[in-house]
Amino acid sequence: MKEQLEALRSEALAELQGLNDPKQLEDFRVRYMGKKGSVTALLRGMGALSAEERPVMGQLVNQLRQELEEAVTAKADAIQAQLQTARLAAERVDVTMPGKKEKNGGLHPLNVVLDDLIDIFQSMGFDIVDGPEVETDYYNFQALNVPEDHPARDMQDTFYLADKLLLRTQTSAAQARTMEERKPPIRIICPGRVYRADEVDATHSPVFHQIEGLVIDKGVTMCDLKGVLQQFAQEIYGEDTQVRFRPSFFPFTEPSVEVDVSCSECGGKGCRVCKGAGWIEILGAGMVHPNVLRAGGIDPEVYTGFAFGIGLDRLTTTRYKISDIRLLFENDVRFLEQFDK
Amino acid sequence: MYISLSWLKKYVDIDVPVEELCDRMVRSGFEVEDIQDLSQTMKNVVVGVVTAMEKHPDSDHLWICQIDIGDAEPVQIITGAQNVFVGAHVPAALHNSDLPNGMHITKGKLRGLPSNGMLCSGEELGLKAGDFPGCDVYGIMILADTYPAGMDMREVLSLNDYVIDFKITANRPDCNCVLGVAREAAVALNKPFNGPIPAYTEVGGDVNEHISVRVEDYDLCPRYMGRVVKNLRIKESPDWLKQCLRAAGMRPINNIVDITNFVMLETGHPMHAFDLRDIRGEQIIVRRATEGEPITTLDGKEYALTNEMLVIADAEGPSCLAGIMGSLDSEIKEDTKDLFLEAAKFRRDSVRRTCRSLGMRTEASSRFERGVDTIGVELAMERALQLIHDLDAGDIISGVIDCNEGLPAARELKVPVQKINALLGIEVPHDTIVQILNNLCIDTTLLNGILTCQIPPHRDDIEGCADLAEEVMRIYGCEHIVATPIRGDIVRGRKLPERILTDRIKRLLISRRMREISTYSFISSKAIDTLQLAADDARRQAVTLLNPLGEEYSTMRTQLLTSMLTVLSTNYNRKIQEARLFEVSKRFVPKALPLTEQPEEIPALCIGMYGGEEDFFTLKGVVESLLDTFGVQPDYEASSEPYLHPGRQAAACHDGAALVTFGEMHPAVCEKYDMPIRVYVAEVDLRALFAIERPRVLYKALPRFPAVERDLALLCDETMPVASIEKIIRQAGGKTLESIELFDVYQGAQIESGKKSVAYSLKFRVADRTLSDEDIDPVLAKIFKKLKENDCILRT
Repeated sequence: MKEQLEALRSEALAELQGLNDPKQLEDFRVRYMGKKGSVTALLRGMGALSAEERPVMGQLVNQLRQELEEAVTAKADAIQAQLQTARLAAERVDVTMPGKKEKNGGLHPLNVVLDDLIDIFQSMGFDIVDGPEVETDYYNFQALNVPEDHPARDMQDTFYLADKLLLRTQTSAAQARTMEERKPPIRIICPGRVYRADEVDATHSPVFHQIEGLVIDKGVTMCDLKGVLQQFAQEIYGEDTQVRFRPSFFPFTEPSVEVDVSCSECGGKGCRVCKGAGWIEILGAGMVHPNVLRAGGIDPEVYTGFAFGIGLDRLTTTRYKISDIRLLFENDVRFLEQFDK
Repeated sequence: MYISLSWLKKYVDIDVPVEELCDRMVRSGFEVEDIQDLSQTMKNVVVGVVTAMEKHPDSDHLWICQIDIGDAEPVQIITGAQNVFVGAHVPAALHNSDLPNGMHITKGKLRGLPSNGMLCSGEELGLKAGDFPGCDVYGIMILADTYPAGMDMREVLSLNDYVIDFKITANRPDCNCVLGVAREAAVALNKPFNGPIPAYTEVGGDVNEHISVRVEDYDLCPRYMGRVVKNLRIKESPDWLKQCLRAAGMRPINNIVDITNFVMLETGHPMHAFDLRDIRGEQIIVRRATEGEPITTLDGKEYALTNEMLVIADAEGPSCLAGIMGSLDSEIKEDTKDLFLEAAKFRRDSVRRTCRSLGMRTEASSRFERGVDTIGVELAMERALQLIHDLDAGDIISGVIDCNEGLPAARELKVPVQKINALLGIEVPHDTIVQILNNLCIDTTLLNGILTCQIPPHRDDIEGCADLAEEVMRIYGCEHIVATPIRGDIVRGRKLPERILTDRIKRLLISRRMREISTYSFISSKAIDTLQLAADDARRQAVTLLNPLGEEYSTMRTQLLTSMLTVLSTNYNRKIQEARLFEVSKRFVPKALPLTEQPEEIPALCIGMYGGEEDFFTLKGVVESLLDTFGVQPDYEASSEPYLHPGRQAAACHDGAALVTFGEMHPAVCEKYDMPIRVYVAEVDLRALFAIERPRVLYKALPRFPAVERDLALLCDETMPVASIEKIIRQAGGKTLESIELFDVYQGAQIESGKKSVAYSLKFRVADRTLSDEDIDPVLAKIFKKLKENDCILRT
């Protein structure tokens, strides 16, 4: 009986070694360990043994059974592992094939840039305000120190809707409105749409966008203006950007300056982008004219302030090197898709 | 304005290169638009003297000329011109020469014989008739014998000069002239300014014997000066004068006209010359025109005037639109003998208004519009008389007519010096401030910290401390302004609620793969017609521009849809397969027409899409999630917009108002936009949406017990909206019914015609236990009962 058991063991282990699929393995398990299996048969045949031999043999058979069961489990794991390896090998894909396309949505490039500006100024404590696009002559001109029949009105061609009603030519129109609504200290920007009767071409659009900035407090100086604009320019054009003032004229500021930034392409050495100048004109600014403060109900003997006006469209076209401003308003999807990065 | 460097040099010792001059001018506030080096326009062209001529053997019109160009050997040049003669002094463009018209001349052969250059006509040298003696003859330009052979033609034509185009800002009308710019250049270069001091001799007589002047409207003409010059000797002006005019872009005419133009360019004061014999009644009246009074101006046009317009009249009628243009009959003519010369100040807003209403603009009017100073009128008159004397153009009669109601004195401003530095934020030394202002002809003293400034009459722009600060800053140098970080209490920048909500909407739409567009706010007046709206539709009530760029941009839009359709069409017709677009902008809705006050500007959102998987329900899905972010559970009702598909459009309503109107476009409208496809649009009233109170977001505990699901298949009339079925189920389902999901709608075989099958999955759940059949069965029974009452039965 002992020999029989040993022979069965060798036979079973040898057979198990050669198995390589789960079905054969199950078959093997039934044949040896099932109700009618060979190992079970051995147990059943123990009735013929003596009372002394029976527990000894019983233990041996149970040992064999346990050994075989462990071997089957190990084999099953091995087969599973083998099968998984094979399946994974078969499932190999060409990873260089393109991904499944899912289109993105996105903001219009003007608003991509505007959002950046809003972030910059908001972080400097500027409130973001809004104003009407259809303005009165008063807010667009008179309150800005441009009386009727003043030559400064020639600086911009205005669209009129009715007597004294016009499409605002500048977001500066928000200045007096802001001063009427708020008390100093005032720190706002007013982004928005403005209109001038310019014929449409690659660099002109009758509809464009500005961001007006206005700061009013006690003791505000030209140096503060330069500080804010330098901060803004460095955020937009890079940390090394320098800001330069050139004296100029706007009716609503005094002193007035044109503001240049060092060309970010060449770092100020002069290149095609800055037309060799090393500087690019980006905006107009100045100290709020005392007459404008007065129009807004603020005493110029007590308060001073500065204002600046940024052209969003130009900022956008220069940032992305867009050659023609008309592209911004044509809205070809292939154009719009380029500014999500 | 164009100014030649040589003209500036008459009054300032400019000893720096032109580039540096311009740089300093820019830094003191005078933008330079262009620097033109006149010498670059012409190269290697010299005076040649014809020493010999013979006919070309192979041509009946070519001449072989030997030209002395100041070298040992003459050069041979062949010309086709017939006006050349031996001894003639002519411009010769030598081998490798450049002409102003862009021509490059090299040596070559003409009919087999060598020609080493070209003899030039006036036109080829860029000269127009009257520019230079001899330049307007037919053929080669013949120069005076005084120009020696070999002399550079640039020297002959005074082209060794620069023309600088300064952009003068509107606050500095005093710099629209050579003297004004020279004064600034002197300060910028820290050099003295040596203005002209006119001197001349008179022949006696008395101006009052020839003419009288009466100013009736001093409010429009604060000063009027007149002089008389007799025995005019009208002729060509000398070269230097012509050159000055040419450099400034003006054409020389004759000495008298040229002198008035020269004085205008130099002093900024337009002058007017009348033929004395044409002044009827020997009197000049400066007065407002009578209503409808006619005038025929120099350019032959007739105008009817109004009593707001100022004229220079004689005893019988107006002969001049004051400061704008003269009339045909009082002008200087070739045979004019005696002259009345006018210099005046006309009010700038009056000139401006007259020009606007008549649609005119002249060199003179543009100067008066910007403003001329009252005192300078006299300098202009004196300067003109000096030139008339120097050029021997006539005899100056003694006596001056000077009508005014008192001349302005220099204004005095007192400003604490510290206020200037406080505005600039830097410490400019006080004596530097005083020096800068004095250099700018603002007589300034400093006593006990107070600046006392005498503002000269030509600086009307200086009104107070801020203006003086600007003067100091621009001369002291903007580079001294240092950037300081923003100061004050630390405050948080805030956005308006509307902007925050708009940003939220944009983020949502972008997450739904939609792309933002931006279109003009004004559209064609005809665009609205494409929407097939009823004649009385409010959207047809639009604000129009009084002066649009064209019909295409003439109307402020009352809706965003037509712009969206245009953009969709552009993309579709460029073969772009699909588009999901949106725009947030304003609608302009007039409170009344014609417009009397600002229209309402109502924020709106427009969505438009085509292609891909789009259908009514993908659009509705976007609308639903949009409203969901605002916590709005709207009622969807079929709507009836004429531009939408009659069976595929709806309004999302809240409290009875439509927040969103959306659907498939009507094919007839799509056709108008060249889109033979299905297009889906939605219009959202953002103002109404923003006005809805948003629910506070509160956490709901996650369910701890499983839901029980039951599927229902129902049979109902095909016209019954699923929304009403859902409403019944929801009401009957009570609190335990957690959700309803429609998963199938079927019509066809096995279904009675006129009916449809609708299948729902219902979820029941309570928070504290797992529901049993005993819990759910009575609820279901109630649902079935209510459905049955509404002719909606359970399918078996």
